[in-house]
Amino acid sequence: MPTALAALEEAYARRGAPPASPKGPAGDRTPVVGYVGADMPVELLTAAGVRAFRLTGDPESGSALGDRYLGRGVDPMARSVLTRLLDGAFGDLDHIVVSHDCEASLRLFYALRELRRVEPGTKLPEAYLVDILHLPHRTTARYNRRRIGEFAARLEAWTGRPLDLAGAVAAHDERRRLLAAVAELRRAVPARLTGRQFLAVADPGLPVDEHIALLERLLAEAGQLGEHAGRRVFLSGGDHDTPHVYEAVESEGYVIVGEDHSFGGPHPDRPVGAGGLDALAEHYHHSGPTAHRATVGERAAHAARAVRHCRAELFVAYSRIGDEAPAWDFPAQRAALDIPAVLLERQEYGRADLTALRKEHPCAV
Amino acid sequence: MRSVKSLATAAEAGRHQREWFADLRRRVAAGEPFALLNADVPHEIFRTMDIPYAVSQWWASLVAAKQRSGHYLELVRERGYPDYSEQYNAVTLGSAFDPEPEAGPWGGLPKPDIVVGDASGDVTRKVFDIWGHEPGVTFYPLESAAENEVPANWWELMPHRWEQAVGPARLDLLTAELENLVRFLETTTGRRFSESRFREVMALVNEQEEWNRKTRDLIARTRPAPLGVVDSIPSVMLPQWHRGTEWARDIAKRFYEEVRERVDTGQAACPDERARLMWIGRGLWYDMGFYQRFQDEYGAVFVWSMYLAIAADGYIRYGDDPMRALAARFAAFTDQLYTPPWSSEWYVKEARLHGIDGVVHLVSDDPRGSYFTARALEAAGFPVIEIHADNVDARTFDDEVVKRVGQWLENVVLA
Repeated sequence: MPTALAALEEAYARRGAPPASPKGPAGDRTPVVGYVGADMPVELLTAAGVRAFRLTGDPESGSALGDRYLGRGVDPMARSVLTRLLDGAFGDLDHIVVSHDCEASLRLFYALRELRRVEPGTKLPEAYLVDILHLPHRTTARYNRRRIGEFAARLEAWTGRPLDLAGAVAAHDERRRLLAAVAELRRAVPARLTGRQFLAVADPGLPVDEHIALLERLLAEAGQLGEHAGRRVFLSGGDHDTPHVYEAVESEGYVIVGEDHSFGGPHPDRPVGAGGLDALAEHYHHSGPTAHRATVGERAAHAARAVRHCRAELFVAYSRIGDEAPAWDFPAQRAALDIPAVLLERQEYGRADLTALRKEHPCAV
Repeated sequence: MRSVKSLATAAEAGRHQREWFADLRRRVAAGEPFALLNADVPHEIFRTMDIPYAVSQWWASLVAAKQRSGHYLELVRERGYPDYSEQYNAVTLGSAFDPEPEAGPWGGLPKPDIVVGDASGDVTRKVFDIWGHEPGVTFYPLESAAENEVPANWWELMPHRWEQAVGPARLDLLTAELENLVRFLETTTGRRFSESRFREVMALVNEQEEWNRKTRDLIARTRPAPLGVVDSIPSVMLPQWHRGTEWARDIAKRFYEEVRERVDTGQAACPDERARLMWIGRGLWYDMGFYQRFQDEYGAVFVWSMYLAIAADGYIRYGDDPMRALAARFAAFTDQLYTPPWSSEWYVKEARLHGIDGVVHLVSDDPRGSYFTARALEAAGFPVIEIHADNVDARTFDDEVVKRVGQWLENVVLA
């Protein structure tokens, strides 16, 4: 039997692949939903009993179709996701659900909606937008509650059955609790997980119950984990839906011990708890602070707290071409930190030009 | 080459703008509150409360026209922020960092007390929020919400059936935000919000935009075109930033009457008109002469820009509840221009209305994209050429564009 870490890494490598046999408990075909973005209330997808996974791009496979439909001003991660959708890389999806976590996701939603309208030959499934917003005001809270309710109703219409919300929230809260415990392993000195490993552990693309079982095993096997003594880096900035940048940074002798993007674990990691749709709406209202939705002040304060918590020695902010929000955060983040900070800006998707890092903060391999 | 304006209305609007700005500076120097507003937020609240304001994008256009955008972007860069991102707002932010603000255009932009912007995109809120960290400046953000399903024919629905076009979720949100904004302004400025004055302002705006609608329709059906966009843009946009005033309503009427007179007397932007061009995208503020560059050699006239057309179709809102009607003006404003199917279907409608022969589409390096606009226009039979540049950052403009457009006119539009 492989270790839990090996199983999680294997699942991570396969994530997004079409499910082999998407059958439900009664033998009927379980609806398959691909979702986009950090603001997705995944509890509702679980509550609806659909097979759901987050759609990811691939820097290695080209993005010509995504470039054509979205334009080159959109984050290449979204362009890659669209390209893969049009190439059928995710198999037969019944629905695509998109959250408004950043402008690229919104633009992706609009492109999916319009392609279905004007180019039905693309055979894209119906796309649905979950418009969760983030200004810290009651007006926004009420709007979010309305949108969460609409999404719940839509899911019930899709599946023809009521949601098991309480059970789903309990399961996801348990996953959050376990992931928080696993994150402590990485924060240990020396780290017991690399950043690359943690990406796989945090989001292997598994149903929540299977994920929970592997996380429990991973914690039980913690004594078998290796030690990673590289220079400790906190990685800030845009999302990393593939391990490429983590591998590039860690191949230079660094170990990424924390991050503030949405593929590095659920944000926030506090539980939703009881309270039904109201609690869920509040939870996602206050998610983050992500580079795309938070103010520079919120991001800087969060960076200072997270760096201390991770005992990071170096702060690396990463900003892709077409994903410029992190570059706006960086000056305030640097000012808020008491460790060295470097900005990698205008980076290619899946690439990290580490010249600045090597020059200013060399790390012996 | 410099652009040449021929309309008295355009010249009058330019004169008024200078006088207004000088008066604004005097009022601010005398201690009145000053607000800096993004273009797509409800200025009507500030008009109603007589709070002096300027529009961020207008200031950026002035800076660009003075060939000074590089200077302000450099100031942004010196603070460590990217100078290649959201330049339309970043140029104006740069003025906040200027050690010699009075050296700016027209004596410089006064320091605002309040900045208001919507949380659209990933960066706009950050730009305004950074401004809000300057001493004495408060940033008031508004949400930017989106909708799942929208009827495509928004321009038919908006004047009276805006509830159907925009949808109640977005309208409830922005209406509530605007009610809160009024309270915030009453508290921080001491000014009062008069409901009857608000209704007057809203009525004046509708009157102004109705005149713009008549002007748009007149230009659309007249051949050769009585004027090009070099005249129509200042004639509509400078008053647009003063909407809700009698001056703006009246100059919109005079603009119509002047165009009417030109039509009646057979005056044309280019008497030998051979091609009617549509300009899609923001104004190329650092080179307005671009729009007249193809008239002599090709008889190609830019008869259409979004500025008059969106005034005609995008602002008019009638209804008994003025705050909700105001929310309806802005809850989906940018969708009208940049989100398919609204944007693409509207551009096709406008191209047909104006008898367009070719479309020049300015595509900036931002997420708005161009595919669905170009696709819709080409499917409807309108040739499209895309040029890639930022509209206020002259560093991004390639001089080869003029040559490319000339070749496209020869080989496609006029072939």
